[in-house]
Amino acid sequence: MKKLLVLLIAVVFGGQMYGQTYNTFEPSKTQFMIRGYGHTGFEYMDSGDETESTFLGLAYAPIFLYKHSDRLMFEAELEFVLEGNQLETGLEYADVMYVLNKNITARAGKFLLPFGTFMERLHPAWINRLPNAPLGYGHDGIAPSSGIGVELRGAFDLGGPTLNYSVYATNGPRLNDGSDEPEEAGMLRFENYEDTNLAKAYGGRLGLLPFSDSSTEIGFSAYSTSDTGEQDSEYEDVGAFLFALDFSFVKQISGLGGVIDVKAQYNNSNVDTATYFELEDDILEEYSFDNQSNSFYGQLSYRPTMASSDFVKKLEFVGRYSDFNAPEGAEWEEKSVQYAFGLNYWLSWRSVIKLSYQTTETEGGHDGDGLTNTDGLFVHWAIGF
Amino acid sequence: MKTIHKIVVGVIVMTIVGITAVACSSTKKGYTDVPDTATAAAEEEFKIEKSGAQMWGETCNRCHIAPSPADYNDTDWETISLHMRVRANLTEKESNKILEFLKSAN
Ligand code: HEC
Repeated sequence: MKKLLVLLIAVVFGGQMYGQTYNTFEPSKTQFMIRGYGHTGFEYMDSGDETESTFLGLAYAPIFLYKHSDRLMFEAELEFVLEGNQLETGLEYADVMYVLNKNITARAGKFLLPFGTFMERLHPAWINRLPNAPLGYGHDGIAPSSGIGVELRGAFDLGGPTLNYSVYATNGPRLNDGSDEPEEAGMLRFENYEDTNLAKAYGGRLGLLPFSDSSTEIGFSAYSTSDTGEQDSEYEDVGAFLFALDFSFVKQISGLGGVIDVKAQYNNSNVDTATYFELEDDILEEYSFDNQSNSFYGQLSYRPTMASSDFVKKLEFVGRYSDFNAPEGAEWEEKSVQYAFGLNYWLSWRSVIKLSYQTTETEGGHDGDGLTNTDGLFVHWAIGF
Repeated sequence: MKTIHKIVVGVIVMTIVGITAVACSSTKKGYTDVPDTATAAAEEEFKIEKSGAQMWGETCNRCHIAPSPADYNDTDWETISLHMRVRANLTEKESNKILEFLKSAN
């Protein structure tokens, strides 16, 4: 990880110097941009017996773009987040892309995975209409967010409708076999910089925009690997198959005086059954379960862009439903349902103040077996630049 | 899962082969303003070509709010267009027409 960072920083600053040395007032052949985003906020959470309120540390994510020619480009995103009192850094993605012809572009490196659309297209704070991700994404999520490998992607113009695709091979996920963290036995870990076995993960997404106004897109994604366990361990050939369905509809509707935006994604993860161990009163007990998880979210937002008042024009109303089901019998068994409501004020196309109320009902999960109801109030501020 | 895995790998290999075949069989090197093939001519007959401005309004709003042409200069728009073409899986035609519009209107 450290080496990767040092290498990246070397590449980034080396490239920057190169870019600046040769940047005259004429557009140079190598074009360089620093973009990125930052967000911060305040949260108040109430889960019955416990209440918590906190200002959130700023997260800052610089993005570096180098366009070397009309075909060749490099993109990288670093992430700086304050976690507790520590600065956490991450390399969100770093990949090189080359346009082979009008229908095929190749990418290599660490890239956001087109598994559904949320992680690849909608998660940045200035794009996401709510302050957080739906259930099923993030640390304990079931959807892979990025991968290290190679990818081919592109689009076809069908004379009105368009079809887009991507196919990739990446280092596969790692199965948590419970030897270090017994409470997470059976979970897949996707943040995997070095593969622990020879099997790779293969996957892709097919998206169709059936109407010529590009308002609607439906997509199907699959992600599959034959081995997830450590090489030569008894878990080596525990395979996994994941799929996702996504939907998007964005259109300005005069009758409603504004833009309607609908987003939805369903994820399903299926891991081969294996035997795990747990320590019960100092005795090692075997157990196994049907390792299937799924999650869903549907979001509707409305911006009254055709309103006469300048203030009202910049408002946005959002509602989101999401649920997450982790396998019954697992130590991390969980059933959660969340309703989130939001009111946003758009300062510009890339900066927004978000006010949101969310209520989550969780059965099981990391924090115990009972039923917990958590109410949360969020004020977030995101800016892209 | 082993069978599903084999099927997935098979489908991916077939997709790559299929796409390569389709992409390479089209002789047109890039998008040109004056369509020269029979299909393009037929397309022209059925509908009037969409303007870059209209495509910008429809396409660039799909994920985030669309930036306005004045937000960046020509050089930056070229970089952004390539970035978005790849990230959003846009067709070459969409991406080129929108870029043309953005550069003409900033
Ligand atoms: C499929 C979703 C999608 C569509 C469609 C889309 N964008 Fe984006 N756009 C993104 C994402 C995701 C980012 C953030 C990239 C990142 O942070 O990694 C972004 C970032 C940007 C940025 C910031 C600079 C950059 O390149 O990162 C600009 C400018 C931009 N988009 C313009 C456009 C324009 C113009 C269009 C229409 C041609 C467009 N976008 C269409 C998803 C999309």
